Amino acid sequence: MPPIAQYVFNGIVTGGILALPAVAFSLLWRLLRFPNFAVSTYLTVGAYAALVLNAGAHAPLELAWLGALAATGAVALAVDRIAFRPMRDRRPFSLAIASIGVAFVLENVVRFVWGNDFRAYDVPVSRAASVAGLRVGREQLLILGAAVVLMALSQAFLRRTRLGVAMRATADNPLLAAVKGVPTDRVIAVATFGGGALAGGAGVFVGLDASIDPLMGGGLIISVFAAAILGGIGSAPGALAGALIVGIVEEAGTLVVPPTYKTAIGFVIILAVLLVRPTGLAGSRS
Amino acid sequence: MTTMTRRQLLKSSAVTGLVLGAPAILLAQAKEPINIGTLCPLTGAGGSYGPDMQRSVVAVVDRINKAGGIHGRPIHLFHEDDQTSAEAGVRAARKLIDVNKVVAIVATWASAVTLAVRPLCVEAQVFLIGVSGADAVTQGDHKGYVARTQPNTKLQGSMYAKFVVSKKEWKRVAYLALQTPYARSFGDAFSGIVKSAGVTITDDLIYEDKKPSYRSEVTRILATNPDLIMLEGYTPDSVVMAKDIYKAGFKGAILAPSFAVNAKFIEGASAEVAEGIWNMDRAPLFDSPAYKEFSAAVPRSDTSPYAPQAWDQMSIVALALAAGKGEASGTVIKDHLRAVANPPGTAAYSFADGAKLLAEGKKINYEGASGACDFDAIGDILSAPFAVQQVRKGKSELVTVINP
Amino acid sequence: MIAYLTAIVTLVGVRALLTLGLNVQWGMTGLVNLGAVAFFAVGAYTSALLAVGGVSLVLAWPAGVALAAAAGASLALVALRLREDYLAIVTLGFAEVLRLFLLNEAWLTRGANGVTAIPRPLHAWFGGHYPAFYLLLVLAAVGLVYAALERLRRSPFGRVLRAIREDEVVAAVAGKPVFRFKVQAFALGAGVAGLAGILFAHYLAYVEPNMFLPQESLYVWLALILGGSGNNRGALLGSLVLLGLLEGSRFAKDVIPFLSGVRLAAAQQMLVGVVLVTMMIRRPDGLLPERPGSE
Repeated sequence: MPPIAQYVFNGIVTGGILALPAVAFSLLWRLLRFPNFAVSTYLTVGAYAALVLNAGAHAPLELAWLGALAATGAVALAVDRIAFRPMRDRRPFSLAIASIGVAFVLENVVRFVWGNDFRAYDVPVSRAASVAGLRVGREQLLILGAAVVLMALSQAFLRRTRLGVAMRATADNPLLAAVKGVPTDRVIAVATFGGGALAGGAGVFVGLDASIDPLMGGGLIISVFAAAILGGIGSAPGALAGALIVGIVEEAGTLVVPPTYKTAIGFVIILAVLLVRPTGLAGSRS
Repeated sequence: MTTMTRRQLLKSSAVTGLVLGAPAILLAQAKEPINIGTLCPLTGAGGSYGPDMQRSVVAVVDRINKAGGIHGRPIHLFHEDDQTSAEAGVRAARKLIDVNKVVAIVATWASAVTLAVRPLCVEAQVFLIGVSGADAVTQGDHKGYVARTQPNTKLQGSMYAKFVVSKKEWKRVAYLALQTPYARSFGDAFSGIVKSAGVTITDDLIYEDKKPSYRSEVTRILATNPDLIMLEGYTPDSVVMAKDIYKAGFKGAILAPSFAVNAKFIEGASAEVAEGIWNMDRAPLFDSPAYKEFSAAVPRSDTSPYAPQAWDQMSIVALALAAGKGEASGTVIKDHLRAVANPPGTAAYSFADGAKLLAEGKKINYEGASGACDFDAIGDILSAPFAVQQVRKGKSELVTVINP
Repeated sequence: MIAYLTAIVTLVGVRALLTLGLNVQWGMTGLVNLGAVAFFAVGAYTSALLAVGGVSLVLAWPAGVALAAAAGASLALVALRLREDYLAIVTLGFAEVLRLFLLNEAWLTRGANGVTAIPRPLHAWFGGHYPAFYLLLVLAAVGLVYAALERLRRSPFGRVLRAIREDEVVAAVAGKPVFRFKVQAFALGAGVAGLAGILFAHYLAYVEPNMFLPQESLYVWLALILGGSGNNRGALLGSLVLLGLLEGSRFAKDVIPFLSGVRLAAAQQMLVGVVLVTMMIRRPDGLLPERPGSE
């Protein structure tokens, strides 16, 4: 029986990947007051954007990743402008349903252009190094590193910058924020772009770790949703913690039950945590 | 009085007859098309396999129609996407059967779709032929309206086992399979035979589809120290699995089906990861005229494992209809299927070959791009040799052939 | 064409039943069930396995409904006791866990192979006219359930549910045992969903786990929202519109000559997404919004 540490490490990497769309999902939910199910397809969009740059224009993956961040952010902005802005004052359910429609459209646009075949980035595959008895892969470290950096940047943005503070204010009370002169439209645009970029970046990681195909994002939506709820809607650190827990539990779960029940364990643990802390790990529900 | 010579009389009556009969002849030429449906996964989990299968069928039909159709009747194809879903497949099949009035549905892929659509076809006497692997596809009472060009799991399991046993250096084998309707059946057939030959099955793990990483499954498998991993999945998940196995530092061997480890796999996983992977499948008759014609007609055909089967399915259905002398129905196909596909008979490698021989009154035996295509009583492929390949320097090379 | 339409309307009917079940939970009581497909599956599999095992349909069908309702009651008991918002995630998790159970516990459920050759009621009697019989059966079920639910809505029980939906604190203050009513409503909705599943399984004569993917729950919500959430007529209309959209796009593609294969299929699904978004922008309350004070 291998040391559980290996599973925990694997789980941390999976969690790191999940954390990005989970944070985006959670923050956007709080700010715009509806769960945006298109976030998981932003993952797909980001992965393909990087593919175009990397396999198509032969850019190194790091540059392609940055390009993917920008491209997905732009797509998210466009989606918001076309689909969500006309519905700002509507009930959350209408927006949630519309976001599902958007997810359908995005996934099939990708399918229309690139077909169903899975693709891969133009990067060498390397065997994992053995570090203190753990197998640690180069990509895994890159992914973890990038995820941590993005998380730190997001937190700094929300805490330290004026726009970030404004974002939290708007999330807490949009009417009051508007009255006090916080530029809500700008806040939403920045949040949307940022959320899209985070999800797009995660998409590149998934594409790197596994493979790229139109269904890649959609398969993660439940885990993202669970991580966000677990962490408490509206809290970035919460979503991060939630994602890590979901990731670790899913990976370590293979020790206890057949791997096919991975998702099941995830849910059980989430319920257990919610039992102890009903509002999620760090969030407050208003 | 002009006296016509007999010749002139004959000639003029012939001309008169022709003129009077012309409308009837012209009407006969504008014959009713024969409707055939394809029901492939163009979206959903099987989406990477459907498009090529559909294209293969289209290529066959184009050739047939250009050469004048079946007894002068053109084939009219109707395409539907089953979305790799049983319910969507049923709705699509209902449309094909009731609205488009097809006499056959070809190129189905997912077992769940084939199983759900089967009762509809049997009831409507529409012929159903696909590549689905679940045992239930050909079991039970389908009255002869079902066939498949994919070897069943018992046959497959036994052939893989035979190869593994023949390689004496593999004493510890782990079975790693994608969750499909035939994974268990194949695993049991395979394990049963290798175990009785003294090989240890170190682990038996079935994994879920569409996961972004399989690191923990791999960790578990590798902890049991296998010499060989028997990887039974499809290309998309096999790529991810193979990459994870490689990254985890596994130095042993991997055996997988060739329909998973094909050119697309090598492209997706990288030549480095794919190097040395053993793969096997029913031996396509690479040197046969059928395969040559198929690969010329269907571009990038070496990357589509099911495309040769779809090609054969359409060709066989067309030949069975041709043998039926102009009447088109699922029953005609059912009645003539084995007559055109099984020995004895003159070998026919394409519809054109076969139709010509049939017109001469000969008995034919279609030998296809995917194999000999001989069907048993319940619609399964009779046992066939399996080709074993190994990926070397980015390409799969034939190493040996396992005979049943 | 008739046979095709018969099949489609039959499936619309099954879907409508399932949507009516969700409406009891969400529309009438305000309970969020993200795993609607789970009770559908419980009904389908229970009846299928019993029937294939030789149990008469007269027993198998009620057993399926009962088990679905019981599952709903248990879930609600656990989730609602702990915390309101739990229900959403509990139902989502339950649906996924159930599907995995159906896939893996092959000794009970036949696993990925699914259950084939499910006996159909009175099949021998109707022979060639069977599809018409089954259509009438499904429509009768929809009609009866609809009438019963409408009756329920206007009844004191229904009024309490509505009060709970609007403001459960007020309802509780008024002395109503809110918790008990919620569990009952949830179980009722689950039972209706189970009935839909039974009709589905015996129609196709085949069930397998991937018929009950999480996104199927989504389609039920779509039908409900499209039709006008909160009312039973909307549930019926929404199911018709949704399936009409899915099937309509199938015919639309036949007249688009310049696309083929994957592109065509992608375009078909894109159309569904676009219609959805447009509907939400233009008619957010659905096609038949609930009229206030219409009771």
